[in-house]
Parts: sequence; C-alpha cells; structure tokens
Amino acid sequence: MKYILLMSSTKAGVDSYVAWSKKDIDAHMAVLKSINKELTESGDFVGTEGLARPDQAIVVRGQRAGMPITDGIFPEAKEFLLGYWIVDVKTPERAYEIASRISVAPGPGGVPTNMPIEVRQIVSLSAKSQ
Amino acid sequence: MKYILMMNGTKAQFSEYAKWSKKDMEANVAFMRTFGKQLKDEGVFVATEGLGWPDQAKLVRAGKDGAPITDGVFPESKEFLAGYWIVDVESPEQAYKIAARASAAPGPGGAPGNFLIEVRQVLGSHSDLGL
Repeated sequence: MKYILLMSSTKAGVDSYVAWSKKDIDAHMAVLKSINKELTESGDFVGTEGLARPDQAIVVRGQRAGMPITDGIFPEAKEFLLGYWIVDVKTPERAYEIASRISVAPGPGGVPTNMPIEVRQIVSLSAKSQ
Repeated sequence: MKYILMMNGTKAQFSEYAKWSKKDMEANVAFMRTFGKQLKDEGVFVATEGLGWPDQAKLVRAGKDGAPITDGVFPESKEFLAGYWIVDVESPEQAYKIAARASAAPGPGGAPGNFLIEVRQVLGSHSDLGL
C-alpha cells in the first residue's frame, strides 16, 4: 500500500522557518536526510520532493481559448504543501510511524518541531472513481 | 525545471464530486488517462498520483514516547490534495499551459470543470530555497 506523507504550512509558518538559524536548518535537514536513507534501506521509500516557497505559487484555470489564467492570490489560512514523501508499506500504522519520525525532526534550538504530517493513501485512478 | 500541478478540494467539494453521475465520472477519468498519455508523448511527464478520500486522511504527530498520535479532525475550510502531476518543462509558462488543460477536464454534463490547479516549482535540492 502506498501512502503519501504531506508536510504543509501557511505562509506565516514558512516565514518563521526561513528565520531559523543556519545551524538549526542544517540539523533539521540532516535528520530528514537520515530518515530518507533509512527508508531506502528498509525498502519503504518510493519518492520525496520539496516544493518552492508559497510566494511563488500560482493558481491556474483554463479559459475558452485554452490559454491559462493565472493568479497568485490565496487566503491567509491557505496551507501550502512544502514537500512530501511517498512510502510503500504493509500497514497504515507503519506509515503513521514514519510520519511521527518526520514530525520530531529538530526545529529551533534542536527542539522537535512536532509539525503535524498528513497521511493519505495513494489510489489508482480507477479505484478513486468508485 | 520541474513543476507540480495540484488539484485540491474541501470535503464539501469532494462530496459534490461523489454525486456526479457515473457517465460524468467516467468521462472525467477518461480525460485524465488521455491527458497523462499526452504528457508522456510530449516528453514532459514525470509522475502523477491520485490520493484517497479526505475522510481517510490522518494527521500524525509524535507522542512523548515517540509513538504516533493520529487524528482525523480538520477544519471545514481545509483543502485536501486530490492528486497531482509533476512535469519537467522549459519555463513556468509551459507549466501554466499544461495546468490550464487539466483545468478544462470535463465536469458534470461534460462541460469543462474549470478546476483550480495550483502550480509550484519542485526543488532540485534544499539549497534552491536560497537559505
């Protein structure tokens, strides 16, 4: 079963992250890297990506001529995806366990961020339409 | 440059989608399949995934003993990721054009859904954040 672990935050949350010291950011990233390495070794790892900052996010709609209409305006409460991990695991509990490890990656001063991680199963297109 | 095109919806919007007729849903899914194939043929396709229903979404934090604490309570306004495409393109404009095509996927009665698609660059590495 494939699960996606989503890390999201508001613009304000991202601004506070950007204000972390270099040392704190490095420590945070080192833990995330070691989690990726462990997941690769245990065979659970499928993929991970990080997304650019929310201030570069654009919302697109099509219009009649097929040309895109773009807009960068979002409500303040909007949660932006910061990045995700996809894991292939035997049970949802294993996905929750991995998510909780990401949640305790260190924040400022080495204190765990305790950031909530959203966990969702990945489905095939045909399964989703049922 | 890699871009991610995301479809999001509130629980209320997912509930609307669940009420579509079988015919409308099939037309939408058929469009999505063809769209994925077109992106492959155009050489821009990297990945696509669809996610399970929001009512199965869990928020996870670690408890004091390190064991996961799960919770399925979200604010009503919460936007859930429905699915995404990752494309590898030459410019953001090319990503927006592809997103506009996804936006025009058929909705109820076969009319273009005019769905909102969020477009964000995917980072090559953490240093791309400029920190």
